[in-house]
This record gives sequence, structure tokens and C-alpha cells, in this order.
Amino acid sequence: MTGSNSARTRFIWLCLSPAVILMAIFMLYPVVSVFQMSLYKWGGYSPDKQFVGFDNFKILAGDMNFIRSFQNTILLIVVVTVFTLAFALVFAAILTRVKFKGIGLFRVIFYIPNILSIVVISAMFSAIYDPTQGLLNSFLRLFHPANWAGIQWLGNEKIVIFSLAITLIWQAIGYYMVMYMSSMASIPEDLYESSALDGAGVLKQFFSITLPLTWSTIRTTLTFFVISTINLSFLLVTAMTGGGPNGSTEVFLSYMYKQANTNSAYGYGMAIGVVVFGFSFILSAVLQAITKRDIYEF
Amino acid sequence: MKKRLVFAVMATAAVSLILAACGSSKSSSSTSTSSSDSKTLKVAALEGGYGADVWKQVAKDFEAANPGVKVKLTIDKKLESVISPQMKAGDYPDVVHLATGRPDGLTETMIKGNNMENISDVMNMKIPGESKTVKDVIRPGFDGTLATEPYGDGKTYMMPMFYAPTGLFYNKALLKENGWSVPKTWDEMIALGQKAKAKGISLFTYPTTGYMDSLSYSLLADIGGKDYFNKAMAYDHDAWSGSNGTKYFDSVGQLLKQTASTTVANANNENYRKNQQLILDNKALFMPNGTWVVDEMKDAPRAKGFEWGFTALPGIKADDQYAYTYFEQIWVPKAAKNKTLAKKFIAFMYSDKAAKDFLKGGAVQPIKTIDSQLTAQQKTFYDVYNQGAKVLVGGFKNAKAVEGVNWTDTLFGEMTSVTSGSKSVKSWQSDVVKAADQLR
Repeated sequence: MTGSNSARTRFIWLCLSPAVILMAIFMLYPVVSVFQMSLYKWGGYSPDKQFVGFDNFKILAGDMNFIRSFQNTILLIVVVTVFTLAFALVFAAILTRVKFKGIGLFRVIFYIPNILSIVVISAMFSAIYDPTQGLLNSFLRLFHPANWAGIQWLGNEKIVIFSLAITLIWQAIGYYMVMYMSSMASIPEDLYESSALDGAGVLKQFFSITLPLTWSTIRTTLTFFVISTINLSFLLVTAMTGGGPNGSTEVFLSYMYKQANTNSAYGYGMAIGVVVFGFSFILSAVLQAITKRDIYEF
Repeated sequence: MKKRLVFAVMATAAVSLILAACGSSKSSSSTSTSSSDSKTLKVAALEGGYGADVWKQVAKDFEAANPGVKVKLTIDKKLESVISPQMKAGDYPDVVHLATGRPDGLTETMIKGNNMENISDVMNMKIPGESKTVKDVIRPGFDGTLATEPYGDGKTYMMPMFYAPTGLFYNKALLKENGWSVPKTWDEMIALGQKAKAKGISLFTYPTTGYMDSLSYSLLADIGGKDYFNKAMAYDHDAWSGSNGTKYFDSVGQLLKQTASTTVANANNENYRKNQQLILDNKALFMPNGTWVVDEMKDAPRAKGFEWGFTALPGIKADDQYAYTYFEQIWVPKAAKNKTLAKKFIAFMYSDKAAKDFLKGGAVQPIKTIDSQLTAQQKTFYDVYNQGAKVLVGGFKNAKAVEGVNWTDTLFGEMTSVTSGSKSVKSWQSDVVKAADQLR
């Protein structure tokens, strides 16, 4: 009995070991090195590293450019999450609950932005936001006198971060919509029928049936929102604005990249990486904690 | 118990095998290069506006002149992202053609980390296939500045390649049409801006703020001469905060105030050509740029009768103009395996053969005999020094890396805020002075 048991344990270990080893090499080791490198003053190439303890983090706390990139990232996470969540839920509810012609076409159209490369998206939105010939200003010009200068969607430091948010929302809606739709499709039809007999309208059904029964999916996507906004905002900023004008669209990762590479402060960049790691971890945990509800069963 | 031991041994063996496989790149590369020592030369070159073909041709010619040598080329528009990961893994190219002032700042990082090989002896080397030394053919004025001796200690770490004068580009036809003459002084230029404004034309535009570097260099020398320029390049406090410094910020501020309104929105890597298009469309008068812009915009639509014009930056005083000479650099990493061959390759860059190859792509080498080989269009640019503008070479001194302080983002990047009016010239100056104090 004990012999077969230990054979069984060995077999389990053997099966697990490839994944564990790969995980250790490609996930655990890099993460640990980031933490380690954040404690050094290092240019990235030279063999001499200088141990500085937590100095990099102390400088970070007083670096106004970093704080601005922090603010921009939080703003993007909040705005993108709130609007994408709302739009995706409403569109998903419509596409699953309402029967109308061309429903398949709409599903495809909503999902298309998600399969486009972020570089393509940034080129498209650069054309849309163009101050003279752009789609947006050309449309708005209809309501303005002929000599209207137009809105500088990518040139005005106060507006430009919202221009990025709109782009991110546009590309994210389809992805989350599909996730919510799959969750909504599994809600039994009889719940809606009986509630309709009790006199519940469409809105009442949405808030009392659809939303509570898709809650666990929504909770999961909240973590996705945090992670994907941090990542995609870096790609979009790199392709579209380069962090400009004058740093007004600098986000976490673009600032980290600039410090680690352009500014030859690799250790400092890694310290930013540690903060991003901690921030996204904590934010996701907090979101999971405050959205905890009893799971309804059907 | 025995079985467990056997299993443990096997597991350790498996892990070490995988780890060895991962870490093998370093050891295998060192063995392979030592066996093929002085046979394969790894050259990494930026594919700039002159294209990749020039490099392929030059590599071929070098191979022909050195039997048994093979040149392995890495050419890329974003060379940094190709060679940086390799370099971090210990696989260094032998020769790198990559200038300072690029957004990724790899060359600067190499300087800051003392990772470049001292190549002072290249100057006295014989050019392969010729009887002259590099020193004999190279144009005077290109050596002995911070752009080739980044530590200012008289030792050469980078050699000058592809040079071009910088200044302002404009439409000759537009100025002729309106009877305006090319301004010789800063005040004339600002006054011309008022006249142009009446016709709905902006005085100025810039592709991105990165293009403001050469303009700034020339302007600083115009204001205070070469000594002052060198002080400013060394982040001297008084140079940036004193009266000369204030003059610089005020002058640029004047220019930015008359910048086309759409410039800031398009001043990024995605849209900078739209700013260049303003010159072609007669919507702006002047822009700072490099000679490559003619090729870059050759397919763009343009105003009727358009003709590229080029002038040195107007001086503060008449007849006292500097035109900053931009050149790219070629260097050898300290960790390169074939340093001797690498230096030979660099010496070859100044041979007549290589110069001719480069010229085919429009790249002009800083050698004495090049003038006679230029095309008519190129001559209009390179003639700027014959028309009275003074040569200015150099660049910012190598500074230690200071966490959170980005010099070019402060000095040039903040110009967008001054252009759009969200930042005053005064607060821009104080930001720059603060950054300079931290870098010195």
C-alpha cells in the first residue's frame, strides 16, 4: 500500500515538475530579479552595480513626473473601467435579451476592435483626432463658425488623456461584452418569464435578474480591467503620443521604460516596476474584497 | 529510500539541464567567436533616412578588401530594440553605428556606463586599401569635441559619420511670391512672422520637440559664442540662469508663440509628418529639420511652384550666425570580441570606396574630398558654410544618470507646453536650471 502511494506521489511530482520548472524560470525568477534590481543604482549594461537600499523608492516618492504618471494611470483605470463596464453590460444585455435582425453582425462589429493591433487603432484615432481634417473636428465644425480653430484632441494637455481613454474604451467594449454575453446566455429563460408575469419591466429584470446572476463574471473582469488598462495604455501611449505633450499622457509603464532605458536609470525603472506590481496586486485584491457577494444559484 | 534518492538525482539533473540550456547563450557565443576570431565581424547599423542598401554595399566592399573576413550585418530602423536584449545577454556587436540623441538613448547609456572602447588610435590607422591615414582625410573640426570625446579627456570613443548642416527649411517660392527676404537676424525673423500672420501663415513649426535640439545649439552659440555654448553643454548653472540663458529662453519663447496652432497636437512619432506638411502647404514659413526631409517628403503633395529652401538659423546679430553640424557616430563596445578588426572596419568608413557607397544613399561622410561629389540639391544645403555661417560641433556633455531627471524632456519636451501657453517661459527656464543643477 505504501509502495503504490509513494509511486503515486512520484508520478504526481513528475507530472508537475515541467510546469513548476518553467514557471520558476520564466515567472518567479524574473519577478524576484525585478525586486532585487530595484535596490541597485545601475545603468543596465555595466557590470558594476551599486547597492543603494531603498533610495530608489525614496526618490520615487518625491518625483513629480512619476506622481503624474501614477495619476494618469489611475484616471485611465477608473474612467475606462466604469465606461467599458457600463457599455459592455448594456450591449450584452441587448444582444442576448432582445431579438432583432442582424444580431450576429452586431456581435462581430463590436468584437472587431479587439482583434485590431493597437498600432492600427492608434493610427485610426490619430486620423479621427486630427485637428484640421479629423473626423471629430470636421463633425463639430458643422455647429461652429467657419473660422473655428477646432479642438486639439491630442494637443491640449487637459484633454489628451481623455482622448486616450475614449480609444481604450472603444477597443475594450467588444471583449468584455462577449464575456458578459456568455454569462447572460446561461441564465434560464423561465426566470425572465415568471418575472414578466409578476409585472417586471426590462429595467427591473436587468437589475434584479441579469446583473446579480452575472456578478461573478463581472468580478473577474474587474481584475482584467486593472491589468489590461495598465498594459494597453503603455502600448497606446507609445504608439500615439509618446507620453506628450510634455508628459501629460505619461503612464506607469511608459515612464518606467523612459527611466530604465532613455535615462539610463535601470534600477530606478525596476523600482517603478515594483510599485506597479504592488499597486495592481493591491487594487485587484481590494476590488475582489469589496465586490464580494453571496453567489446566487439558478 | 533508494528510489527516492534516484528520483531526486534525476530531478536535479533535469533542472540543471534546463538551466544549462537557458544559460548557454553566453558560453556558446564566447566559444564560437574565439574559434572564428578575426573572421566574422558583427556590425550593427541604424537604418536611417539613407536606407539599408548602403550598409550592405559597404560590408561587401570591406569583405572584398579583406579576404577571409565575413561581415555579419544587423540593420534595423529601431536598432536599439534589436541589439539591447542581445547585449544584455552578453552577445555584443563589434561595431555599432548609432548616434547620440535618439529617443532610446542607448548610445548615451553606453557612455554613462563606461562601456565604450577607446578608439583614439583609429585616427592614425591606415585606411585599408589606401595609403593615407584616417587623420589625413577627415575634415578638420569634426574631432576633439564632446560628440566624439564624451568624457572631455582627449580620448576618442566615437568616430564621426554622415554629417549634415542644420538650420531652417522653407519654401523659396512662397518668400519670393510675397517679396519677403530670408531673415538674417532673429528680430527680422520675428518681424517677418507678423507680416506672414496677416496672410494667415504661421511663422514656425517643428516636427517634434526633438528637432529643436540643433536649433537650440545654434542659437546658444549665436547668443554667447562657442565658449558659452560649451558651458551650456556642460550644464553650467550660470549659463542657463544668467542673462545669456534668459536670452535663449526668451528668444525661443518668441518663436514658439508664433508656432502653427496644430503643431503640438501632431508633435509625436505618429503624426510629425503632418507638421512637415505645413511647410509644403504654405501654412508655416520655417521649420528646423535635417537634410533627409527632402527625401522623406518626396511623395507628399505640395503648393504650386514649391521649392525647398535652406538657411542657417538667423543670428542674434547680423553676420554672426552658427549652423550646428549634426553627425552620427560609430563606436565599439568594450565587450566586443574583435576589437582590432572593428577598428579596421571603422578606418575603412573613410575610404573613397565607402564614401562613394554612402553617397549613393545620400549619406555624406566628413572627408575632405566629398564636396566635389555632391549633387546640386545637396550642394544647396552644404553650401551654408560657404555663405558665412560658422561651423558648430558638439553636444551635451556626458552626465551621470540621475533618477527621475530627464534633461531632453525638460529642455525640449516642455517646449510643447510653452507653445500651447500652459507654461510660462520663466517657469520653463527654472525647470531647466533645476535639472542642470542636478546633472552637473
